[in-house]
Amino acid sequence: MAPRWILKLENIEKDFVFHLQQGTRIVVFDRFSHLFFPGRATILTGPSGTGKSTLLRMIYGTYKTGGGHMWARRRGRPVDIAAAEPAMIYTLRRDTIGYVSQFLRVVPRVSALDTVIEPLLARNMELESARKKGRALLERLNIPSNMWHLSATTFSGGEQQRINLARGFIAPFPILLLDEPTASLDLKNRRIVIDLIKEALADNTCVIGVFHDPKDHRDFADHTIDLAHMLNQEVIQP
Amino acid sequence: MTRMPENSSQPLLAVQYLSKFFGRQLGCHDISFAVSPGEVIGVVGESGSGKSTLLNCIAGRVKPSNGSVFFHSSAGMIDLCRCDEALMRKIIRTQTGYVTQNAAQGLKMHISAGGNIGEKLMAGGMRHYGQIRKMALAWLERVEIDPDRIDDLPATFSGGMQQRLQIAANLVNAPKIMLMDEPTSGLDVSVQARLIDVLRKLVSGLNLSMVLVTHDLAVARLLCHRLYVMKQGEMVESGLSDQILDDPRQPYTQLLVSSVLKP
Repeated sequence: MAPRWILKLENIEKDFVFHLQQGTRIVVFDRFSHLFFPGRATILTGPSGTGKSTLLRMIYGTYKTGGGHMWARRRGRPVDIAAAEPAMIYTLRRDTIGYVSQFLRVVPRVSALDTVIEPLLARNMELESARKKGRALLERLNIPSNMWHLSATTFSGGEQQRINLARGFIAPFPILLLDEPTASLDLKNRRIVIDLIKEALADNTCVIGVFHDPKDHRDFADHTIDLAHMLNQEVIQP
Repeated sequence: MTRMPENSSQPLLAVQYLSKFFGRQLGCHDISFAVSPGEVIGVVGESGSGKSTLLNCIAGRVKPSNGSVFFHSSAGMIDLCRCDEALMRKIIRTQTGYVTQNAAQGLKMHISAGGNIGEKLMAGGMRHYGQIRKMALAWLERVEIDPDRIDDLPATFSGGMQQRLQIAANLVNAPKIMLMDEPTSGLDVSVQARLIDVLRKLVSGLNLSMVLVTHDLAVARLLCHRLYVMKQGEMVESGLSDQILDDPRQPYTQLLVSSVLKP
């Protein structure tokens, strides 16, 4: 029996129209289709500007999809992300699709620990158990305990990145999107993140990621999609 | 981002085809949207785009020229623009809070901070002095005002404190929805951060809905689940906050988003 997909992209289309720049239109995806499976890691490759981050943001619902369908299986039922109402996108973000971006969006006055455990609280986990889990993960990612109660506003780039990673990995998601999660980390912390990714895969998470350095994904990548080879991008000047 | 409510099938507030003309001058035109319990909606756009007019129509402070403002009640959805005036007043008084940019307009400056809160509690039917004072103290603490200041006049408060007092005075009677007109403008950034933090906690703790009118897109991103963009009285674009701010489609929204200076 063929394995059951968790995410199905069906003829998706995406373009950007820049009204303030003489209406220049950039076509990024033109009827692109792909299947993604649980427990498998798919790496998106290609030079910058080929749509790697765009694809992740479309799956997360941040970028609107121009055409086609993006089916995510939530609790066994397919939901079309491309057509979902805002409330459904929020539901998917709470329990189905996780996303670790390159940069942490820091909220002033909220402690690093509370930033990390927010996804658990959103699932109604009790505060103390959530904090316990959060502390363990921050410790694993080598964030010194005297920083946990501080706002991440003043943290270094690498520290903010690790807070962001802790937030992304604190709760299990069936689909996990990673946008250069190791970019500003030293070797020791990279290895920890790679271990976290492997654990998520063993836990049957579908990982879709963009990595700056191929060394970071070579021992867990199941499959790569080279967006440069799709040659599907064109810039249209009106 | 504040937490999104679990179930949002039944709207708390539904605005339908709402228009307001001031003589021949357009305030807002043909606006429709719904707010679910616990949901925070942002209305963004430049000055004069009709944001405040829209908010004032919802708050019953301005009578719309056309359209409806439906409010969920135990008797079903009630159109505030069509129902009996007394019922409209009662729903507005008991179910909504209204916070203005200028705290001096929303507060009574000649009575104490505790008095400002107590007055609302008495209007809500509370009579016992000790009880009123106890609640006023609890609310001051909740909005991070030193309870020792309970007997001071709001005029002796900083702008940020006045704004938090105004919020407390509006929340004591447990409204279902807060209508806020530029609550963070005119405050310096550190004070703004504190106000935003207080609002975030209140919204998720009380399952409060909010319609927030602001021209500050960073505040909108932080607090709102969904955004509506207004231009010259019309609603030009709407969607998830990150969709509107990261992937704006309409020329006006692109202009609005690209005009913000990033520190």
